[in-house]
Amino acid sequence: MVEERPVPGSPDQARRRARLRAVTLDSGDPERAAAWYRAALGLSDADPLRTAGDVELRFTAATGVTAGALEPARIILNFLVEDIRAAEARLVALGAVWVRELEGTGWGIIGTVLDLDGNYVQIVEPAPDSSPCLYPKEDDG
Amino acid sequence: MVAPALGSILLGTTDPVRLRDWYAAAFAAGDGDGFTEVEPTLFACTFGDTSLLIDGRDDVAARSPDPGRMILNFHVDDARGTAARLDDLDVTWLVEIEERDGGLFGTLVDPDGNYVQIIQLRERPSPS
Repeated sequence: MVEERPVPGSPDQARRRARLRAVTLDSGDPERAAAWYRAALGLSDADPLRTAGDVELRFTAATGVTAGALEPARIILNFLVEDIRAAEARLVALGAVWVRELEGTGWGIIGTVLDLDGNYVQIVEPAPDSSPCLYPKEDDG
Repeated sequence: MVAPALGSILLGTTDPVRLRDWYAAAFAAGDGDGFTEVEPTLFACTFGDTSLLIDGRDDVAARSPDPGRMILNFHVDDARGTAARLDDLDVTWLVEIEERDGGLFGTLVDPDGNYVQIIQLRERPSPS
């Protein structure tokens, strides 16, 4: 985990960086969307939708008029997995639509699927030398 | 079981420098070194345990046509101070900072039209 640094030179007003602690996804069927993410991420029905880095996925009923994402590349969620083949198998079992099948890149092995609302979701098995700013390391504590 | 980590959230944009500068001013605590240039049009900054990636790309429009589809929720230590800083950036508020159960909440629009929520949770008493 990267340490959150206070503002240099202003100890009296030191403040931390903001923390990204949740993403709210608008969905045509929030319960079904949450179930899909649970299955895609290898969670049971009872598990909370919190990632290892304690970022929560929240689902709300769609307020927009479109059924699918108009611009799926606008916001993309990148999940880090230890075993990308197992993650791929879970997505295949779900019948996920692949935008990009698994491929090796300079940053690691990456694959992209659509979630039920048409958003891009990526699974990433980072390369050993990936920059920590791209993929913050999980806090062991 | 715990889900895999959300390593990063990527924002696709036609103007990555403008968006980087905005997020740095708004949420990186004035830390000019907050964002790392990964590539000339790809910037990364860690916010807590996940990174925000700002990626210049040509498969999005200048402004989001569907801004409420995903909302990024930033937790801050001082929501009103953050709001004042955001006012200096002339942001558009969808919901100005307000008290709700649990703390202070506000929703605003980033330069690309994405919705962003800021949250200051009320401190809970420490367990004795």
